[in-house]
Amino acid sequence: MTLPGKISGRVWKLGDHVNTDALHPSVFFSLDEKRVREGVIEGMGRLGANFITESSHEKLVIVAGQNFGCGSSRETSVRGLRNFGVKAIVAASFARIFFRSLTNLGVPTFECREIQNRARDGELIDILTKEGFIELPNARRFPFSPLDPHVKKILEAGGLIPYLQRERKGEKDGI
Amino acid sequence: MVEGYTGNIIQRHSDGRREGEYDAVDVDFVLLPDPTFALLLSELKDLGGRIWNKEKVFVTIDHFAPPSTIERANIAKAVISFAKAEELPHQSTYQGICHQLLIEGPWLRPGMLVLGADSHTTTAGALGCLATGMGSTDILYTLMTGKTWLKPPGTVRIDLKGKLLPYLMGKDIILDLLGRFGEGGFLYQALEFNDNDGALPMDDRFAVCNMVVEGGAKNGLFIPDKVTRKYLENRDGQSGDWGECFDEKPLYLNRMEVDISTLHPKVALPHSPARVVDADEIKGESIQQVFIGSCTGGRLRDLEMTARLLRKKKIASGMRLLISPASQKIYREAIEKGFLQTILEAGGVILNPSCGLCGGIDKGILGAGESCLSTSNRNFQGRMGDPSSSIYLASPATAAASSLAGRIIDPREVMS
Repeated sequence: MTLPGKISGRVWKLGDHVNTDALHPSVFFSLDEKRVREGVIEGMGRLGANFITESSHEKLVIVAGQNFGCGSSRETSVRGLRNFGVKAIVAASFARIFFRSLTNLGVPTFECREIQNRARDGELIDILTKEGFIELPNARRFPFSPLDPHVKKILEAGGLIPYLQRERKGEKDGI
Repeated sequence: MVEGYTGNIIQRHSDGRREGEYDAVDVDFVLLPDPTFALLLSELKDLGGRIWNKEKVFVTIDHFAPPSTIERANIAKAVISFAKAEELPHQSTYQGICHQLLIEGPWLRPGMLVLGADSHTTTAGALGCLATGMGSTDILYTLMTGKTWLKPPGTVRIDLKGKLLPYLMGKDIILDLLGRFGEGGFLYQALEFNDNDGALPMDDRFAVCNMVVEGGAKNGLFIPDKVTRKYLENRDGQSGDWGECFDEKPLYLNRMEVDISTLHPKVALPHSPARVVDADEIKGESIQQVFIGSCTGGRLRDLEMTARLLRKKKIASGMRLLISPASQKIYREAIEKGFLQTILEAGGVILNPSCGLCGGIDKGILGAGESCLSTSNRNFQGRMGDPSSSIYLASPATAAASSLAGRIIDPREVMS
């Protein structure tokens, strides 16, 4: 997965200071993808995401408030959300470990303060990554903060490990 | 612009590469606790499995210590097998919580750049390190390269003034800051504490740095001083080389002063470490369980304070008092000093060192509607058990006093 020009999905709306224990309760920590997925569903139930069903194969975009993903560094929360179909996350701000882990696993994040109060649960959202704005139905548009060039490079590589492999290839080729 | 000693440390560890706002830096030491290390093992093997410098990593089995399910036993087994096969020189099974073992070991000194695959790696900042937590993939990158990419943070200098009164602890200081500035109040920032008068014992400093992450901070750092020197001398027989990071007085754009002598014992209400009130304001709140332990509140001074409050007394009828020293070393010292005997006589139950209780992993799990007063760092909804249970956070002094009363009280009520 690299950074697409347009990311689309249905909005899963969340609040401020959503922590990773709520998103993915620690008892669901596992190396088994199925168990991790169960944790995502449990988290969704606790946080409220009524339009999403267990058998959902929909693309989702989380729209949240401040300090999204605070708390534990357990990467199972990020892996779980990614594997469940979360294509991007838009938030007023991100907790730093969570932000880094999303970037490292190739899930793009966008900072936008205005959108949280305007987006509705379940509606369609488009993120135009090159143009620099997010679009909700009825042509409601919101600009997001430009991506840092380092973060962008990781996302374009598809995550931190592909980025590392590019770094190494660059070294070998003498670039 | 270089801000704070954190900025100095980043600059001195930079390998000269910069992309956007991020610097590539050399990492001095990496902490690898069982679950988050297990998460990257298969990828590490796929990538060739070579750790850049085996002397600079420390593997612990502390979350699943000992394991309570078959799956966790297999996760711990995978980590132990890897450490053995790779002949990693620094590893520990069941000897304590990773953050405590990291500072008990002979590795860290002021000015070092330290990463851990656990958010409470910030604890080590009390020794004057830049210590911060990261997710497994970030740590995998560091294991392969010895490097990471850091965005130099804005830095807040916090000058502590006044004496620490006998009923106050480091926990009250950090809860006060979290209460005033909120859960995201220090997002992406470094907090640098200056305790020029040496008012805070090292154990209290560890508790403060442990919880800076609950305010969103990247790291917390105590500017190394005579307390740091003494700690290192006791630990290593000498205080060692602190590098050049502390030679130059750094720049701070944000400063604040905290008069610790005017603080009151604090309690964080469910379900946020930043929903903080004075213990006095919440007194009388019913609790069924008190937990004294974790990487925040399970150190020797915490157990000493607990024993002092419980001496020749009994905990309230129906109260469950659970104690878990942060390491086997602390456990032994607390036995030698008689703290655990006192706690046992008062009715406390002693559990082995592990992350189990604090993280809701095993032991002390809360049932529906139950409340626990804990000396740990997080009280998010459902963290210690049923989603309808509640966690209050406080210092070991407030927790021990409350275990006597069977409800939350200000420790001054029972301290003479």
